[in-house]
Amino acid sequence: MNPRLLALIPTCVALNVVLGRIVSELGLPIFLDTVGTVTATALAGPWVGIITGLVGQGLQALTSGQLMWLAFAPLQVLIALIAGAAAARRGYRGAASAVLWGALCGLAGGLVSAVISYAVFKGATTGGITALTALFRWLGLGLAAAVSVGSVAADILDKALTFAFAGAVLRALPVRLASRFPVALRASGRE
Amino acid sequence: MSAVELSRITFRYPAADHDVLREVSLTAEARQVTWLFGPLGAGASTLLLVAAGLAPGLTGGTLAGEVKVWGHRISTREGRAALQGRVAYVTATPHLQLSGMASSVFDEVAFAPANLGWPRERIEAAVPGALARLGISHLADRAPDRLSGGELQRVVLAAMLVLEPVAWFLDEPTSALDGEGRALVRALLAAEAARGAAVLLATEDAELGLAVAHEMVLLTEGSAVARGAPDDLLGTELMWAIGAGSTGVAELARLAALRGPVRHPRLRPPYPLTFEAAVERWR
Amino acid sequence: MIAPRPSRVAAAHPFTPLVASLAVIALAFLLPAPAGPLALAGALVLTAFLVGDPRALLPSALLAVPFWALLFLLHALLGDGARVAVGPLRLSEAGTALALTQGARLTAIIVASVLTVRAFRPPRFVDAALVAGWPWPAAYLTAATLNAIPRFTQRAVQVQEAMRSRGLRVRGSLVTRARALVPLAVPLMLGALHDVDERTFALATRQVRAEGVTRRTPLRPPADRWGDRAIRWGACLAVAAAAAWRLWG
Repeated sequence: MNPRLLALIPTCVALNVVLGRIVSELGLPIFLDTVGTVTATALAGPWVGIITGLVGQGLQALTSGQLMWLAFAPLQVLIALIAGAAAARRGYRGAASAVLWGALCGLAGGLVSAVISYAVFKGATTGGITALTALFRWLGLGLAAAVSVGSVAADILDKALTFAFAGAVLRALPVRLASRFPVALRASGRE
Repeated sequence: MSAVELSRITFRYPAADHDVLREVSLTAEARQVTWLFGPLGAGASTLLLVAAGLAPGLTGGTLAGEVKVWGHRISTREGRAALQGRVAYVTATPHLQLSGMASSVFDEVAFAPANLGWPRERIEAAVPGALARLGISHLADRAPDRLSGGELQRVVLAAMLVLEPVAWFLDEPTSALDGEGRALVRALLAAEAARGAAVLLATEDAELGLAVAHEMVLLTEGSAVARGAPDDLLGTELMWAIGAGSTGVAELARLAALRGPVRHPRLRPPYPLTFEAAVERWR
Repeated sequence: MIAPRPSRVAAAHPFTPLVASLAVIALAFLLPAPAGPLALAGALVLTAFLVGDPRALLPSALLAVPFWALLFLLHALLGDGARVAVGPLRLSEAGTALALTQGARLTAIIVASVLTVRAFRPPRFVDAALVAGWPWPAAYLTAATLNAIPRFTQRAVQVQEAMRSRGLRVRGSLVTRARALVPLAVPLMLGALHDVDERTFALATRQVRAEGVTRRTPLRPPADRWGDRAIRWGACLAVAAAAAWRLWG
């Protein structure tokens, strides 16, 4: 494997973890814990994003002492694939297009994570989303519907911001640096 | 044959609008420290990347001309394979040169030998020697991310030294170091040259260059404009003409000559480079 | 993150607790509910004592309690179907059973995970992976990522402190806090990507891609005793048996 990717992937996983923590410290209702994965994909393509996502998911499941989070691994692959499609179509050239791609990713990802939450976790995953699920359930929705509405709503907002963020970083990256990554210039609409 | 031979090197980074190196030719001999000196942005860092075989391979960009290290063309795959594990490259930011995975200084220094597949006995024999030569044997069990900048730079140098490189390429290796650390690097580079390695050093620190280098090459705007012994070149007006500057003593001597109240033949260039030389001149 | 602790798990071959934990995950969903998961959770609690790390149960409990609370809320309180009165509460019968089953599953998985992570040592894992013939990038990425996370956390704290000392507000309304995010996160990310470049040169110089080398030398290959192998095979067999029983039994 190219040394550049060996340097990039751990960095991007660490960015996922660290930004996730900053966001939760600020008490914001989003996660931003895939921004490193999306950035890695926009710099070096979907395969690098998939590896980043899977390594991150595996190690976070391990180090948090909650290996059941491994169940969300397919979600990481999906996010990297959509982030890669966005990169191939210059999706990070501006904030608006990044937000749209992010919303699309959030919709797809939210549905997939709803299926996983419902099937594996019976609706009880992380606090915020479960609270939403409980609210919809209390309003009279069935469990499957409540889980999907809760997780899709949260995911669309989160992924829209995540993609917008990754796009802003990509466009702020000096050309000299960006040009050393295989897809960065195209992804940010500079080529 | 020179140990390092660059012939008519022109290099441009991808998506850049100008060449960083323009038809640079230079040689660095075995058993010598060759010093690259010039103003910021003169191209010394890029030149080292090219000479070490890291550019354009890892940066992209276009390279014209030929780079040979000990007779091997380092820009080719065969050349790099022949020199595998025998070329050292060191920069100013030691924390970015760590393996990123070793949990002790010993493992950090053992990283490259292990990657090269050395047998464990050979690694266990070589690592303590490298640590000792940089005076960091006592740090062997410490975690690299708990060390100071100066300690880290010694770890990074030990991690290169353990490979017994035939060529050293150093980009501002002392900027993270204190006086003691700088003296250690000076001694190390002199010893490595004496062992037979070719040492190519880029530093803004004229005192270091003067103390350790046998030859200096002046770079400006991507071109090599002069070459000679530091003693001969460093005190001439050329240094200020290209914006490189010189040692502290020479800077003072030049100020005295240009702005001072007195005019005297002994004040003319070449300016004295060290305190001792200045005293000698007025004796 | 959970602090490492010495225990009999730490002395084992690094793959043994990992394989055993993965087997616990599979068994938690394969064994018949609710008795199977409850028995499994009990067995894991017992295991914590057997391997000499009963203190692992404290962080495990802290991790498991929120799940129990959420499951109780979602299924026992808000669940459908026939009701039973428990004290002042009227709980869903099916929902309570589901909450118990799911709670036991997660508890078993959490205890296994916590025991594993408290004994996890990245260098031993890398050496074990190399001996087992894993591709070197996989082993490197595992160790380097574990190494990078605390480093970046530290840097995030530094950025945060620097921003605060320049009067950036990190409290206040949702909009204020959302605005605070950009100056915190963008420099962190740009700096990180800048560093990737230098690290690339360093890794290449340090021969991460050495050609003609069949295997990186493991520095301290961990012992793989017959006990380790027995546990790993046992775990795999238990999963296979449970799966077979589930399919055809």
